[in-house]
Amino acid sequence: MARERREEELMTAYQAGDRDALDAIYWLMKDSLYSFLYRYTRDEQLSIDIVQDTFVKLQQHKHQYDPAMGKLKPYLFQIAYRLMVNKLNRRKKLKSFFPSLVPITKTSIDMADRMTIREAIGKLPPKQRAIILLYYYHDLPQEEIAVILEIPLGTVKSRLHHGIHRLKALLGGDFLEA
Amino acid sequence: MKHKQQDPLEKERFLRSKLDEYHVDVPDFPMKSEKTKGDRLIAFLASPTENPLEKLILTVNGVTMLKLAPIGLVMGLTILQFLIFF
Repeated sequence: MARERREEELMTAYQAGDRDALDAIYWLMKDSLYSFLYRYTRDEQLSIDIVQDTFVKLQQHKHQYDPAMGKLKPYLFQIAYRLMVNKLNRRKKLKSFFPSLVPITKTSIDMADRMTIREAIGKLPPKQRAIILLYYYHDLPQEEIAVILEIPLGTVKSRLHHGIHRLKALLGGDFLEA
Repeated sequence: MKHKQQDPLEKERFLRSKLDEYHVDVPDFPMKSEKTKGDRLIAFLASPTENPLEKLILTVNGVTMLKLAPIGLVMGLTILQFLIFF
């Protein structure tokens, strides 16, 4: 809670012209945004580009953010998610026209057991994947996920439910305790 | 991870343990100021891409074909010039 208030205070300071406040927001949010984007795309360079583009957008439209309308974290995640979807769609189109022009995806494999969960998350339908990632790894309430993805709350609940079932089926582990 | 009220993952101990295994190493990269269109073009042109001839390089026949292709092309062009000018 204190951290959230700090984020909002920093944003207000940045809107008032304090450049250091923007740097502080960047260092507070960078890891979280990157982790979400990387887990979604599994593309290091793309994730870095989107985090940087998110902050470029924040700078360009710094006065559009209104603390009364919501917290800063979902606001930044919403920008990043929109940018990511646009870039992935553009990449998909480019790939269909010029297959050899699409940049190579650099993915690193750390451990065999991580591969399993990585692959399972990668195999989730994109809409379920985003919800699982935002809900589990970023501690975002379902209401804020609905704002980020611009979908109704009921859709978030049902996609989360289906995503969990799909993930369990993909992992194929022992789910007796569930 | 924080536990929420009516958390659908609360009872999914195995799934949570699996999800917890997925750590991301965040690289160190700076925040950028506004990018110009020129910067974007350079980044796009400089990004590594797939080699379109890679499939040919992997086989002996492919390499032979790549070596002979310029000779065939030159011969074809020569024949074409003969047909046009003579």
